[in-house]
Amino acid sequence: MNPTVRALSLVVVIAVSAAPLYAHHSFGAEYDVNQPVTVTGVVTRIEWTNPHSWLFVDVTEPNGSVASWKFEGYPPNALYRTGWKRDVSMKAGDKVTVTGWRARLGGNMAHSREITLADGKKLFFGPPAGTGDGGNTPAVKVP
Amino acid sequence: MSARLLAATLILLAFMPGLTRPGLPSVAVLLAHPQQRATASSRTAAPRAADGKPDFTGVWQGASNRRGSWEEANSGLGVGGTGKDPTAPANPASQQVITTPAPYQPWAAAKVLESFNKRGIDDPAALCLPPGLPRLYLVGLFPIEIVQTPRTIVFMYEYMNVFRTVRIGASHPPDLVPTYLGDSVARWDGDTLVVDVTGFNDKTWLTGTGTFHSEDLHLTERFTRVDKDQINYEVTMEDPKVLTGPWTIRTTMMLREGTRVQEYVCAENNQDPDHYERLLKEGIGFRRP
Repeated sequence: MNPTVRALSLVVVIAVSAAPLYAHHSFGAEYDVNQPVTVTGVVTRIEWTNPHSWLFVDVTEPNGSVASWKFEGYPPNALYRTGWKRDVSMKAGDKVTVTGWRARLGGNMAHSREITLADGKKLFFGPPAGTGDGGNTPAVKVP
Repeated sequence: MSARLLAATLILLAFMPGLTRPGLPSVAVLLAHPQQRATASSRTAAPRAADGKPDFTGVWQGASNRRGSWEEANSGLGVGGTGKDPTAPANPASQQVITTPAPYQPWAAAKVLESFNKRGIDDPAALCLPPGLPRLYLVGLFPIEIVQTPRTIVFMYEYMNVFRTVRIGASHPPDLVPTYLGDSVARWDGDTLVVDVTGFNDKTWLTGTGTFHSEDLHLTERFTRVDKDQINYEVTMEDPKVLTGPWTIRTTMMLREGTRVQEYVCAENNQDPDHYERLLKEGIGFRRP
């Protein structure tokens, strides 16, 4: 891609992403972009519910104890359009790796982004960090 | 001029009010697709209804300017980050740039800024209430279905499963009770559908975080289907109680053949307001510094 075409492509991305693309609620308020987390464990339950889905994963710690994690993600319609097939792509008992960001409330709760499935395939289960919190720039001029 | 500087310049140009003529795509969109401009003549013309008017019927995605099916158009990062490219940036919000600030009166701008600093926890949509206008056209994660008859155009939004009926050639009733999406009447200006919307309540946001309005909100929307795949959407927002003057924004909606508008019952399992309440009650810092 030559530099001019690359520059023009950047315009598209910025012009489009300047709009609030996803806005049920503020992931940025609820989850901390400065606390990324990655866990590998066994899926125990998936709630395909609105406004958001929830994924439950049991993670065995080095000392043998089991930590039960809860991840928030996209609503079922978005998961469907992102390539997920309910009860096919991921099922209880599957070993998966989940990346995301921890909840400000603490505990084993986070919002998910990417899931690496048992067969190595990767799919997005939740939005990027900070989604819905207003982005980097307020709508009005800062005095 | 470096590529980055050129891009920044184009962005600024694109958002300068008055630079683009109503009904035309912004400068950014025009310049962003040189290869598509070159093949414009090969594009399929917008279909027409039996009455000769452009037919908007179809399933559309807002906040996008990419052609193709939903899957094709949302490859890579995808709208709202829903693409399939695992190397896509984790936080595309970092690519945002300052555009023309919304023309809020000083007291109102302070209120908008407060919502921004609270990261939007006061978003009415977080309570599963209907998102307002024109915000519904800026949410790219959910499709919008348009059904058109000679007298009526119906917009059905998957997001919150709300709809609005636009009556062509009709007048607003004199006894409007304020509602979330107001009352919409329209007329044709050539091939552009011009929609006048009034009768709003004050419980929605216009665009981004905190962009509140009063019951005096009045919208003038212009929908132009420039070809089979693209609707240019322009809206002018007027609210003398909150804004200093008219505020116009433009975006595009793209045809997504093969996509279905599905059910979305937001109140089914909404745990987020409870989490917000706990953040506030437990004094956990979440505000912007």
